[in-house]
Parts: sequence; structure tokens; C-alpha cells
Amino acid sequence: MPKHVVGVDQPGLRAVLIGNEAVARGAIEAAAQVVAGYPGTPSSEVIETLSLVAKDFGMHVEWSVNEKVALDVAVGAAIVGARAMATMKNAGTNWVMDMFATVVYGGVSGGLVIYSADDPDAFYSSTEQDTRPLAKAVGVLILEPKDQQEAKDMAKAAFDYSERFELPVFLRSVTRICHSGGDVEFGEIRRSRNKVFFDRHYKLPFRWNVYGPFKYGGKVGPTAKHAWQLERIEEIKGFVNRSGFNWVEEGEVPLGIVAPGIGYSYVKDALTKLKLDGRPWILKVGTPYPLPEDGLRRLIDNVDKVLVVEEGDPFVEEQLYAFMKEYSPEKPIYGKTRRQLILRYGELGIAQVVNALARFLGVEAPNIPAGRRAVKGEVAKILAPRSSALCPGCQHLGTYWGLRFALIKAISKFRGRMRGVWIVNGDIGCYEQGGYGIFAKEIKVSEAKESRRVMFNNPYEILDTNYIMGGGIGVAQGEFHAGYRDGPIVAVAGDSTFFHACMPAIANAVYNKAAITFIVLDNAWTAMTGHQPSPASGVTATLEPARRFRVEDVARSLGVEHVWVVDPYNVKEVEKAILEAIETSVEKGVPTLVVARRECILQVVRRLTREGKELATYVVDEGRCVGCRLCVQLGCPAVGWDRERGKAFIDPVLCVACSLCAQVCPVNAIAPSVKGKTLRDYVG
Amino acid sequence: MVKAYYIMIAGVGGQGTVMLSRIIGDAALMRGLHVRIGETYGAAMRGGAVHSHVKVGEEVHSPLLMEDEADALLALEPLEGLRRGLTYLKPEGVVVINTRRVYPIDVNVGVAVYPPVDRIVDALRRLGGVVVAHDFTALAEKAGTSRAMNVAVLGAFSRVIEGAETPFDREVLVEAMKKRIPKRWVEVNVKAFNMGYEVADRALK
Repeated sequence: MPKHVVGVDQPGLRAVLIGNEAVARGAIEAAAQVVAGYPGTPSSEVIETLSLVAKDFGMHVEWSVNEKVALDVAVGAAIVGARAMATMKNAGTNWVMDMFATVVYGGVSGGLVIYSADDPDAFYSSTEQDTRPLAKAVGVLILEPKDQQEAKDMAKAAFDYSERFELPVFLRSVTRICHSGGDVEFGEIRRSRNKVFFDRHYKLPFRWNVYGPFKYGGKVGPTAKHAWQLERIEEIKGFVNRSGFNWVEEGEVPLGIVAPGIGYSYVKDALTKLKLDGRPWILKVGTPYPLPEDGLRRLIDNVDKVLVVEEGDPFVEEQLYAFMKEYSPEKPIYGKTRRQLILRYGELGIAQVVNALARFLGVEAPNIPAGRRAVKGEVAKILAPRSSALCPGCQHLGTYWGLRFALIKAISKFRGRMRGVWIVNGDIGCYEQGGYGIFAKEIKVSEAKESRRVMFNNPYEILDTNYIMGGGIGVAQGEFHAGYRDGPIVAVAGDSTFFHACMPAIANAVYNKAAITFIVLDNAWTAMTGHQPSPASGVTATLEPARRFRVEDVARSLGVEHVWVVDPYNVKEVEKAILEAIETSVEKGVPTLVVARRECILQVVRRLTREGKELATYVVDEGRCVGCRLCVQLGCPAVGWDRERGKAFIDPVLCVACSLCAQVCPVNAIAPSVKGKTLRDYVG
Repeated sequence: MVKAYYIMIAGVGGQGTVMLSRIIGDAALMRGLHVRIGETYGAAMRGGAVHSHVKVGEEVHSPLLMEDEADALLALEPLEGLRRGLTYLKPEGVVVINTRRVYPIDVNVGVAVYPPVDRIVDALRRLGGVVVAHDFTALAEKAGTSRAMNVAVLGAFSRVIEGAETPFDREVLVEAMKKRIPKRWVEVNVKAFNMGYEVADRALK
């Protein structure tokens, strides 16, 4: 039996798959040969799934160190004739733009699919960015599935289309496709694999070298390749009119809906909800670029006005404006811009689509009776928020505890020289929760023109800045070179982020002498996205043994001279090392590095559970507890506070016996229960 | 035509909401229906609010429920049950709720108060139909592991829907559960399922 249902060779089989698993199945059915990506929610499950069955299909599946490298790898495979795919989230698509914008000059011979997972409503992302405009800017065919079945079918077809037009195909998904489950019917797995070969002048002279003396359209070199690409686009424009992923549904009233991707699924359910099935005309769009103009004309000829329902930016809507200016300028367009019925931010959601359709079609939207609304209002009063938190026993809790107190000690040490306002620059990974804050807290903004210290008593408010992968270490350098001297400048990042994007920034810090302290929270996995291996893990995506990189070795080779390696489960050691690192960077004017290394607790506990090992829990001795709440300040979800009794308590279901709360208790009121061993009894 | 059936599953990360939605999805597939499951995973971490929209029927397209559309609410944690029930539970919707609390960090750091569980249960009674409330974590521990709590809740649900017009019954849910749960845990989970069923049976009598 294959390790995942997507590997079952049984056409007609039906299974509930999330969109990413469906894309993985599509790649299998297309006989993809090389798939590379970097973990990024909501895209990661494509490679996670494929890695389980890669060997059964002779497929090379890898976690690359970043998305840009992943696309480079996929391009390499596709120019030697193989079918290849690169997977990424929206932020990763920004990373790959250099190669993406260049590979289209000359294209590919094997099918190349770029899978980009957008995240409307930013469930897991720094932004809601829609990546379709990037693909349009580059000039490739975009496919966008309406559901999981189509995600599978499109992933498979994308390889054929790519080979047909010799250009990459961009498969755009969104969180509600990627992570939603839907029933998918399996198709045939392609029996033949593309032959791998290399020919410098394959069909075009100097095909794989943008600077090669390729002559076309009266030009030579890159400009000639550009002219060649533009002709391909014209062919694709004709082709999408015949694509089975676009179709027109006839209606009974002269009102038209243009519904790309998941927008179509919401529209179908919303019409049922409104009891208006079959009433308006619908153009279902599977290729948001280029648009199926034949279908558009047919729709517009039959309606008086058009509503566009799409997830993300008004991308199809703006193209429609351009199209209508020539074709039928008098017919109004509704959507997210001038005649706005749908918000430009957040995800579509079924409720918003129902309301937009009701207004567009001139009917009453279903609403909640006033009496029930009142009951809800009353009940809502007792609701408490649940802010995002690190896991019980997370090793980052120890690092952030040490960091917090090292910063406090550092500013007291530098009193007189510094105003005492540190900056902690964050990065992308579990530890970014150090900047999520506490939802229930109200924040006052200031108009101050000088540095202002913001106090906090939990790890969720420790990060001052956060933007992108590898951004913190670079931003820290800018703060320093701008002359910021009001307090220590610190940056944090995880091991996977370190290899993804921090190495050039470290070389830069050494080269340009930035006095900053860099803390790498090394937990050996790309934990936040679901524990994919990183170069720090010692295994590949398909779990073959691999070289285990040490962050400190890499940093030393890049010229960082002052390095501390500590255990986050020893809060005193962490605090001491960070304090020394800050002092050293300030005194010597150089970057310093602290590596806080301990394997992700979830991985450790999973392994122990599998081995049938029982864990003790820590308990609070109420007689000793003085109610100082320091243990609560640790921010561990297992450590609770009993308001009535004025005592801390530990949730035995959540506790993993890590000892951190016992370490921070000033009166030794926390100790392991007698039953079972502590985590450190098992793993040190 | 089988009436479409919508379920909201609410809990916190690590409690098994996703496993539960998959079991129910598989059961619907066995009935020859279409399935949509709307979920966000809250990254990989433990303890964050997690909820699943489960829609099954002959005609389902999109993955999310609208306000007051859930025929059933399966609440693996009381506060999260209230949060999602408040939005999604329909007036006659049935509820199975685990009364074992998982405190949010907001409560731990002292900026929010966890509502009393009996008030949560009362609120859900006002918002919906039949409510079965029980400490299913303790029940699952008795069955062999607290991790079978989600399946104990499913067992209670299978009793609550007896006699109602739904695509599910006890047999198909047990069958689907056995296929999803790793073999060595099946026995414990069947036990937890049955114990959940009994709890609901007593509560309804």
C-alpha cells in the first residue's frame, strides 16, 4: 500500500483530499519527475504528500533552502526535458520573480508548473497578496481551480499546456482550496515519462541562454526572446477559448456573473441559498489570464450588467474593464472597485457572496431575526478571546525568557550611554508569535518623537518589528547604520529561515560592521509549517540521511567571530549568553551570534508517545506558591492562573514536563509529579 | 434527494478537530455524497483556536458555512464551542460539547476571564436545540487515552442524531473512524466511541 492515498493507481477512486493533496495527485497523474519547494503555509502539503510516495513513482521531491532555489531546480529539470513543478506560498512567489521573469525568455521543453498558494485574509501570512498580477506581468498562462477536483485536474493539465506552449504555467490556489477538503475522483496515471536530454539549440538557437545570439523579430538576444514569448501569449489567448476549465452557464435574466476560481463555488452555493439557481448567466473562469474572450462576449451579449466574484485583488475585474472599454462600454461592471459590492480585503466567504448576489440580483438577503440577534449579543458578552500562543513546553519560551531579562540587564548596564530602548527585530517562523500580542489588551499609540520603552510581561510582546523571511537581520543593520544608539539592537530567526534568507545578510553585517546581536532559535525543523526538514535536520524531504548543517559553523565561516551556543531549556544560561553577546557587539562594534538549540518539543513528544513512554507533569505546591505570577509570565499555555485562589496551576493534559516553569519560580513551588519521568529525564 | 447536512467542529490545536472532520467526510463519501471541509490549521502549533466547517450533500460547492447554518456543533473545548456556536449554530441545531477547559493565554496573563462552563452550556441551549455536555476528556481517559476525546464526542453525536434525517448513523461513523485511526489505536477509540454514545443516551433519557 502506498503511504498516501494519492499514490493509489486506481482511476475512478474517490477520496476526500485537501487542495494541496489534490495538486500532488495531479502531479502524479502527469508523471512529474522533479518537484521542489520551500515550506510555506498554505502550500506545503503538496511536497509533504509527494515525499511520501516519491519513490513509488521515481520522482525527485525536495525541500529546497528557499523558493528561488526551488524554481531554479525546477527550471533546470524542465530545460533537460523533464516535467517539473515548484511550489510556494504567496511570499515565496515574490522570492522567485527573478528567475520567473527570465525563464519565460526561451521557455522550457519539459512541462514546468509554478504552484503559488495565496492566503486571502492572511491566515498564515504577512500579507494577503494576490500573486496573479505577478504571473501576468511575466506573461504566462494562469490556471485557478474552483475546488479540489479541479485542483487535481488543473495540476495534471498544466504540464500538458506548458509543453504545448513551451512556457511555464502558473497554478494559483488560495487557502480555502489548499486547506479545504473535497471529494476528488482519481484519473489515469500517465505511463510514459519524459525523456531527459540536452540540446543547446533545441528548436531555437541558444535556447537556454538568455544572452545567446538568438535572432527573432529583427532583434537579437533577450529582446528577440521577448518577441518570441509574446507570440506564445497570443497562441495561449486563442487556446483558452477552447479550454474545458472555462464555460458559460445560460441564465434566464439579463444579469451576468464572472466567477474565477473558488468564486464560482461560492456563487453556486449562494444562488442555491437565494433560491435563484439558473437565473443569472455565469461565466466560470479557470484561466484568469488570459481571459476566455469568446465566453466573455457571449456572456456580455446576453446581459445588461456584470458582477465579478473573485478571491484576492480585482484582477479579472480590471481586465474586464479594459475589455469592456472596447467591446461594450455602456454595460456596468460590479465587484470590488467602482461599483463595489465586495470588500477588497479579507476573503470572499459565502456570506459576503450571498449579500453581493442579493444586491446585484435585486432580492432580499436572508437575515437573522432581531430577537435572535439580541440573544447573540447577550451571549457574546461572556466570550473571551484566545490569542495565538507557543506550544506547551516550547523551547522558544525559554529563549524569550532569557532574552527578556538579558535586555533588561543590558540597558541597566549601559545606563547613561543609552536611553534604554532596545529594538528586537523579528522574523518568520513559530517565534514570530513573539509579536502577536495579547488580543484582549488595548494598545495606546503615541506621537512621541523620541525613543519610548514599551514594557511587557509575556513573550508575546517581545518583537518590535517583523516583515519577511530573513528580513530581521537586515533591518537590524539599517537601524544601526542610521545611528540608532538608544539601546541594543537584536534580531531573531529560526534555523530554516537562517538557511533560507539570512546568510547573505550575515555576510553583509560582518562586511559592513553592524553592531547587532543575532539570535538563531534552532529547533532543527521548519516547525511552523508542519516540521518539514531543513538543512539543520540531517534528513531530506524523503527522509534520506543528509549533512546536518550547524548554524554557528556557517556564521563563523561568514566572519562572525563571537558565537554562543546555548540550551533554551536553561534560562539562566540563555540570559547570560545573550547579555554577553549584546555587550560584545556594543563594545567591539561587530555582529555577535547566539544559537539557542533544542529540537522542537512537538517532535520530541511525538517520538516519546510513539515509543509508549509516559511523561510526568509538573504541579504547583499551593502551600508554597506566593502568587507572584512569574511562571504565568513565561507564556506557556499549560501554566494557568486561578483568579479566585490567587495561585498558579498547571494543566496536566497540556504539560510536557519541560521544567521551564519550575526554573522561573522564585520559591521552588513547582516540581514534577511522582508519576512518570520528565521530558529531560528522557532527552536531557 | 438527501438533505445537505452541515456540521461545525470547534476546538483548539492538538485536540483532533481535523481528524474528526476527516472521519465525517469519509462517512459521507461512503454514503456516495459530496463533501466540503473548510479548515485553517493555525500553523502546526498546539493550543490555537481551530474550527472545521463540514458540508455534505448531493450539491455542495464551497467550503464555508453561513451564520446559523450548522445542523450540529461538535465542541471539543467549551469556550471554542461557544465562539463558533454563537455564529454558526442554527436554532434547532444539536450540540455535543466537551466541558474540559483549555485556558487561553489571555486568561492566564490576566486580561480576560474564562466564563463558567455551565453558563456556556446554557448559552448554547439558548442558541440551539439538544445539548449534550460532558467531560469527554475524562471519559476518553477511562477508555484508554485522553486523545480519543474527539471520537468520544463523535460517539455522543451518533446517539444525538438517531431518528433525525441525516446522512449519518452509528455504523457508518464507526466504519469511517476505523479506517482513519491507526490500527493499534482502533480498539481504544471504539471503546471511547461507545462510551460517548452511552453518555448521550443517558443524557437524552
